[in-house]
Amino acid sequence: MPSSRIRLVGAAFFALVAALIGPGPLARASDAITWGKQGEVLSYDPQHSGDGTSWDLFFLVYEQLLSTDDNFHLTPGLAERWEQISPTSYRFHLAQDAAFSSGRALTADDVVGSFKRLSDPKTGGVWGKQLGKIAAIVAEDDHTVRFDLEEPNSAFLNVLASAPTSILPIKELNDGSFDPKKALLGSGPFMVAEHVQDQYWKLARNPHYWRKNRPIADEFVIKILPNDSTRIAALRDGLVDVATFDNADISRLLRSEPKIKVIKQNTTNFYRLDVSAREEGSPFADKRVRQAMHYALDREAIANIVLGGEAKVEYPIPSGLGLDVCRKDPFYAEPRAERLVKARALLKDAGKEGVEVGVIGSSALAAYPLIAQVIQSSLNEAGFKAKVEEIPAADWYKRVFVAHPRFDLAVSWYAGYTDPAMVLYWWTPEGSKGWADGYTLPDDALTAAIQKVRSLPNGPERLAAMDTACGLIDEDSNVIALVGKPDYIAYRDDLVKVRFGANEGYFRTFKYAEEFSRQN
Amino acid sequence: MPILGFIGARIGVALFTMFVVSLIVFIAMHLLPGGFEQIILGPIQTQATRDAITNEFGLDAPIAEQFVKWAIAVLHGDFGVSMITRTPVAAELVRRAPATLQLAAMSIFTTLVVGLPLGIASGIGDTRRSVRVGARLLGALGASTPDFVLGTILVYVFSVWALGLTVGGYAPFLENPIANLRAMALPTLTLSVPGIALVLRTTRESVLNVMTSGHITTAVSRGESPSQIVRRHILRNASLPILTVTTMYLGALMGGSVIVETLFTIPGIGLYTWNALNNRDYQVTESAVLIFSILLVAVNMCVDIAYALLDPRIQGRRS
Repeated sequence: MPSSRIRLVGAAFFALVAALIGPGPLARASDAITWGKQGEVLSYDPQHSGDGTSWDLFFLVYEQLLSTDDNFHLTPGLAERWEQISPTSYRFHLAQDAAFSSGRALTADDVVGSFKRLSDPKTGGVWGKQLGKIAAIVAEDDHTVRFDLEEPNSAFLNVLASAPTSILPIKELNDGSFDPKKALLGSGPFMVAEHVQDQYWKLARNPHYWRKNRPIADEFVIKILPNDSTRIAALRDGLVDVATFDNADISRLLRSEPKIKVIKQNTTNFYRLDVSAREEGSPFADKRVRQAMHYALDREAIANIVLGGEAKVEYPIPSGLGLDVCRKDPFYAEPRAERLVKARALLKDAGKEGVEVGVIGSSALAAYPLIAQVIQSSLNEAGFKAKVEEIPAADWYKRVFVAHPRFDLAVSWYAGYTDPAMVLYWWTPEGSKGWADGYTLPDDALTAAIQKVRSLPNGPERLAAMDTACGLIDEDSNVIALVGKPDYIAYRDDLVKVRFGANEGYFRTFKYAEEFSRQN
Repeated sequence: MPILGFIGARIGVALFTMFVVSLIVFIAMHLLPGGFEQIILGPIQTQATRDAITNEFGLDAPIAEQFVKWAIAVLHGDFGVSMITRTPVAAELVRRAPATLQLAAMSIFTTLVVGLPLGIASGIGDTRRSVRVGARLLGALGASTPDFVLGTILVYVFSVWALGLTVGGYAPFLENPIANLRAMALPTLTLSVPGIALVLRTTRESVLNVMTSGHITTAVSRGESPSQIVRRHILRNASLPILTVTTMYLGALMGGSVIVETLFTIPGIGLYTWNALNNRDYQVTESAVLIFSILLVAVNMCVDIAYALLDPRIQGRRS
C-alpha cells in the first residue's frame, strides 16, 4: 500500500477516535429539564393504572382537586378552596382559569364526569372504591362541585390528591375525540409533545396552565433508562439533569461526583410480606405457623443489610405519617431473642418444625430477592426450612394474585399514601376483592376496626381504632408490614435548580417540577 | 438448471420453517405465566377491569382462533397494534430497524475486519509461539465470555469513569453522527468480541488445514508470492468454514441484539422485543420474533445458495 494512502487511512482513523472521545455534552434544548426515569409508563389511563411508574408522569400532565405538602397536610390543587359542609358532604371551588392543554376551559362538569367514571365499578376499577360510597356528585355552577357521601370517610380528601383522581376532559371523552387509554390530555403544567415508546417523553409547557408564570421550563424531557448504571453515566455525562433510583447504594456510587447531589425522599411506602393463608396444604393456613414466622422476622436486618440502614422498621400504618400507633404489638416490641423462642414454641405446637416454605422475591424490584434472602435466614433460625424463589414479575403475579394462589410467602410493597385509612383499606375483604382475596382470610373484627378508622374524625378515638386494627393485622399475620421503601433522587447541582419534597405519599416525586429551571 | 431447483427447494423449506417458528412462538407466548392485563394494571385491580382489557384485545378467545386471526392479518401485511401504545407494530418495527441494523452492520464489520486478519496471521505464523499463544488466548477469552457479562462490565466501567464513550446516549446517526458513534461503540464491542473469537479460531484452523495441502507446496515451488498464495489458494479454500461461522454469528447477533440493546438502552427492535416480552405485549413479541426468524432463514438460505455456487458438488448433494 503506498505510504500516502496509509497516511490518509491513519488520519481518518485518528479523526474518528478524536471525535469519539472528544469532550463536550451532547446537544439539548436550551432550557429543557431532562429526567432519567427507571421505567416506561405502562398504561395511559390514570383511573386504571396501578403502578407508580405511570403515576409520576400523570402528575405532570393531569391535575387533581387537592395536593399535600411535605408534612402531608392538604393543600389546594385544582380546587383553590374547599369546605366540609356536613360529615358526609364537601364543596370544592375550582380555579377560575383552569383549562386543558387543548385550550378548553376546565369546568365542574369535567370533575363530575371524572368522578362518576372513577366511582362506577364498571369503568373505575379498584381505585374508585377508595372514595367510599358516593350518593351524589353535583355541579353547583361552572366552578363549584359538591360531593355527598353515603357514609363518612375520613380519608376522602386525601384520596382526592392521588393520581387515579386526575380530572379528565369529559366532553372530549364523551364525544370520542379523546381516549384516555391512548393519549394524555390534562390541565397540568405540561402536555405531551412527543412520545417514543421505551425511549423518551417530550413534555412541553401547557400554554393554558392557570398558574401564572409556571412552569418555568419550556420543556420537560423524560428519558427511559431502566439500567441504574446507564442513568448514573447519563447524569455524569450531562445527558440527564435528574435521575431517580430505588437503589439504596446510590449515594455511595455517586460519592465521588462533586457535581451530582443525591437526596433521599422519605415515603410512606413500605415493603410487605404476603402470606398464603387460604390454600389447603399451605403450612400458613395454620395461624400458629403464620405467627411463628412473623415472630421470627428480623426487620432490622432487612433495613440494614438490604437498604443500607436507610429504611425504618414499618407498621401497617406507616411511621412516615407521624402517628404514635402500632408500636406496642409483641411482634415488634419484644427483643428478637424472645421472639425467636416464641416462634420455635409455636412451630413445635403446630407440629411443623422443619417445615419447608418458599419465599418469592420476584425480579420486579432489585430489593425483592435480597429481602427474601434475609427472610430466609431469619426463618431458618426459628426452625423453618425456607428457600428463596426468584421469579419474573409476571410469574409472581400469576402465582400470588389469583383465586387459587401457589405460594407460601411473597415479598411485595404497599403505597402508604397520606391517611391511614387508605392503606388499611387493602386489609378489608372489599379492598382485597379480586386480587388478594385468594390468600387473605376475612377477619370481621379487623374489618370493623378499619371501618372505624375510616369513619371517625381525627382524634383519640380514631387513634385507638388504628391501634386495634394494627393489633389484629399483626395477630392474623396474613399481610405483614416489613420496612420502609424510600426513593432516591440524584441531580446535577451545577446544571439545574430543582426542589424535591422531603416526604412523599403518592409517588409525586416531581411535585415542584413547575419551579424547575436551568442554572444559567 | 439444477441451481433453480435447489433455490426453489430452499424457499419451500424456509417458508415451512417460518410457519413452524411463528406457531411455536405464539403458543409459547400464551403459555408464559402472567397476562398482559395483570402487567399493565398491576396486582391491585378488580377482576372486572382485567376482564375488560382481555375482552378488548380478544385475549379471552381460544389460542387457535387468536393464532389464525394473527396469521391471516400478517399474511395481509398487518402486524397489528401494540397493546400498550396502541400504535401499529409495523411502523414501530420500521422506525426501530435502523438502530438494530446499524448495530448488526458495525458488529459484523468489526468482527470480520479484526477476526479474519488475526486468524490468517495466526494460521500462517503458527511457528511463532507468541502469535500462537496470543491468538489462542484471544479466541478462548472471546468465546467463553458471554455478551451479557462483557456488556455489564462495560456499562459499569463506563458509568464509573468518564472515558469518552456514552452509555444510554443514543441518537440517530443522521441527526448526530458523533453522538451516535459514541453510543454505539460499546454495544458494538460487546457483540463483536465473541464473533471475533469465533472467526479468528475458525479462520486459523482452516488456514492451517489448507497450508498443509499439496497445492500450496506446488504454489510455493511455482514461485508465487506469499500474498498471492494467501488470496488465491488459502482464503478461497478456507472460505466455506468461515462463511459457516459467519452465518452462525449472524444468528447469535440477533439474539445478542436483544440483550445488548437492553443493556445499553439502544432503541432498536431488540429492546422493543424485550420490553414487549416482559409486558406480555403479544402482538409485538410475535411480530418481532417472526421478523427475526425471517431474517435468519433468509440469511441461511443465501448462505446455502452461496455454498452451491462456491462448490457445485453441494448442489447435487443437497437438492
